Amino acid sequence: MSPPIFRLASLLFCVGTGALAGLAWRTEIPGAFSGALVWFALDSWRALRLTGWLQRLRKDPSAPPPRLDRLRGEVAERIQRLLRKQAREAAEHENRLRNLQLALQALPNGVVILDEAGRIEWCNRAAREHFGLDEQRDVAQFVTHLLRSPALVQSLAAQDFDEAVTLESPFSTVARPQRLEVRFFPYGQGRLLMLSRDITVIEQAEAMRRDFVANVSHEIRTPLTVLAGFVETLQTLPLGEEERRDFLERMARQAARMKNLVDDLLTLSRIEGGSPPDTREWTPVRTLLQRLDADGRALSAHVSGPDAPRHELVFEGLGTEAEIAGSASELQSALFNLVNNAIRYTPPGGRIVVGWALLPDGGARFSVRDSGPGIAPEHLPRLTERFYRIDADRSRGGTGLGLAIVKHVAQRHDAALAIDSAPGQGACFSLSFPASRIREGKPGNSATDA
Amino acid sequence: MTEKHLSSQFDSDLNGVSSQLMEMGGLVETQIQRAIAALANFSTALAEEVVETEEKVDAMEVAIDRALTSVVARRQPAARDLRLLLAISKITTNLERTGDEAHKIAWRVKSIVASGEARKMPIGDLRVASDLAAGLIHRALDAFARLDVAAAMSILKEDDLIDCEFKGFTRKLVTYMMEDPRTISSSLDLLFIAKAVERIGDHAKNVAEFIIYIVNGTDVRHSSLTRIESLVR
Ligand SMILES: Nc1ncnc2c1ncn2[C@@H]1O[C@H](COP(=O)(O)OP(=O)(O)O)[C@@H](O)[C@H]1O
Ligand SMILES: [Mg+2]
Repeated sequence: MSPPIFRLASLLFCVGTGALAGLAWRTEIPGAFSGALVWFALDSWRALRLTGWLQRLRKDPSAPPPRLDRLRGEVAERIQRLLRKQAREAAEHENRLRNLQLALQALPNGVVILDEAGRIEWCNRAAREHFGLDEQRDVAQFVTHLLRSPALVQSLAAQDFDEAVTLESPFSTVARPQRLEVRFFPYGQGRLLMLSRDITVIEQAEAMRRDFVANVSHEIRTPLTVLAGFVETLQTLPLGEEERRDFLERMARQAARMKNLVDDLLTLSRIEGGSPPDTREWTPVRTLLQRLDADGRALSAHVSGPDAPRHELVFEGLGTEAEIAGSASELQSALFNLVNNAIRYTPPGGRIVVGWALLPDGGARFSVRDSGPGIAPEHLPRLTERFYRIDADRSRGGTGLGLAIVKHVAQRHDAALAIDSAPGQGACFSLSFPASRIREGKPGNSATDA
Repeated sequence: MTEKHLSSQFDSDLNGVSSQLMEMGGLVETQIQRAIAALANFSTALAEEVVETEEKVDAMEVAIDRALTSVVARRQPAARDLRLLLAISKITTNLERTGDEAHKIAWRVKSIVASGEARKMPIGDLRVASDLAAGLIHRALDAFARLDVAAAMSILKEDDLIDCEFKGFTRKLVTYMMEDPRTISSSLDLLFIAKAVERIGDHAKNVAEFIIYIVNGTDVRHSSLTRIESLVR
């Protein structure tokens, strides 16, 4: 029997029973009527139980349905099934939303979701770190009340989202600048997605590259200008033999300077771009020192001039049998740069000690100590920057790339560059190699290598 | 502001004026940042930018005043809304003055650069103070946006730090001037800059006081810190 027919049957049954009971007193009409009333009361009572249960469901979704007649029982069961399905779907949605939020949280870029009025709806951790936003308190806050950069406010007001806006993070200071790039992406109806990323490092690298190009151009241009000047003079003025020779000598010096610069630049780019030096190549230290000795004496004679006294060049540890793992040419170039500086910046007659010593931990230290003018502490941290020179007068020094090369070679050989100096105290530059790069060579090794 | 007024036309008026104030705040913050950067790098170009933008700050002050007058006339606000509008008016004045101080710094930087003594000057210590002052203004504006009394209180406490830096810096400048009389004119410029930085800190403090006034309805100007703390609690 289907529920409606069952309902009808139960009604008829109640009415019939009432009428039959009434027959005894000849009151079958009121009997049928009260039968209907009883049915109605029963029916209403069940309806009330159903609505009562629905009421309870609101607070406790798992409340069991009461015992009911078939029709209402089925209604209750269907409702229950529907509710369960809904709950399951809601949980699934919730789960998916949570996963999405977790993914957005993990992004290194800042994400802020804005509503139609430009109020903050949600933001991830990176955005909080970039802008100092407070996840709870700043919800529903107008984004422009907290991110007040004029460029950003303007871009929002004009709804102009084609270009990224760069701004200073609120945590930026003069000593530690922090720059951010912000982009807006409209979506839905008037809603905005705001992405931010930290561009401090990118901007710094870009600035360094620009500086470098500017420096190189300047350094090449200066000797070229001088050269061109001499060429023009030679072309236009009749000169005596003496003057001619003087001019040509100066031109040769400028040309040499340019060649040095280009050589150093090439060295730098080679060691920067190249693969790390082969650790299986072993270079005898004695060979390195012997060549330094010869080159150093030649340079000292060259910079001191014919009449001035030479530098006193002392080599310690020339008898060593040790070997260094790494590129012989790079090491030679680094060591020579240190000797070169010592000779150039120490007045003729000064004393320069080139030392080689094994360290207790199995490593070894190479050092160049001079009796020159020394270096003031404020310059020390910057000496290895490219083109950094203490004295603006460029005629005496080299290219300004020497120590940059030394630093790079040191890094590639796991060596530490230390500079120990004070004004008037001379300077000591040293390279310390770790034990892994040093071995005690067999006597006779150096002869075959040399 | 968002929790109390959500729907009405009046609320959108209030939000509008607040937004204008915040926009002006953002501009003033940029002015301070640029002035500080101009000082740190002795950059005339940056100083020039500050000088040029000064007009804009003034124009915004006028615009906010006009908007305030119109809201008060049309809506006749009471209680907290009236306090908010009054405070916005006062804060606007303070921001305009802060902009003036940034302008002064920029102007002095130009004078120092022109003197050619720039590299010798001890600006390191001033940087700390100016970063502090810029930070205070930033936090004061944040505190206004969030109507955050706790943040406002912390600003009142920190203003003393800048005053301390200022005193130490003045002493240092005096020794500089005695050691090398050629630096006197630049030292005086720096002294004025330090004074301007100190004033920026004071303006931040005023803004913080008005935030307390909006939220609690108590006027805490000219009160001692301990008294303010007891009032706020
Ligand atoms: N031994 C030294 N004594 C004093 N100053 C030195 C010494 N070595 C390097 N310097 C300073 O460090 C600067 C950078 O050195 P470097 O990178 O080799 O460039 P440069 O080509 O000018 O020698 C030099 O210009 C010089 O002022
Ligand atoms: Mg050199």
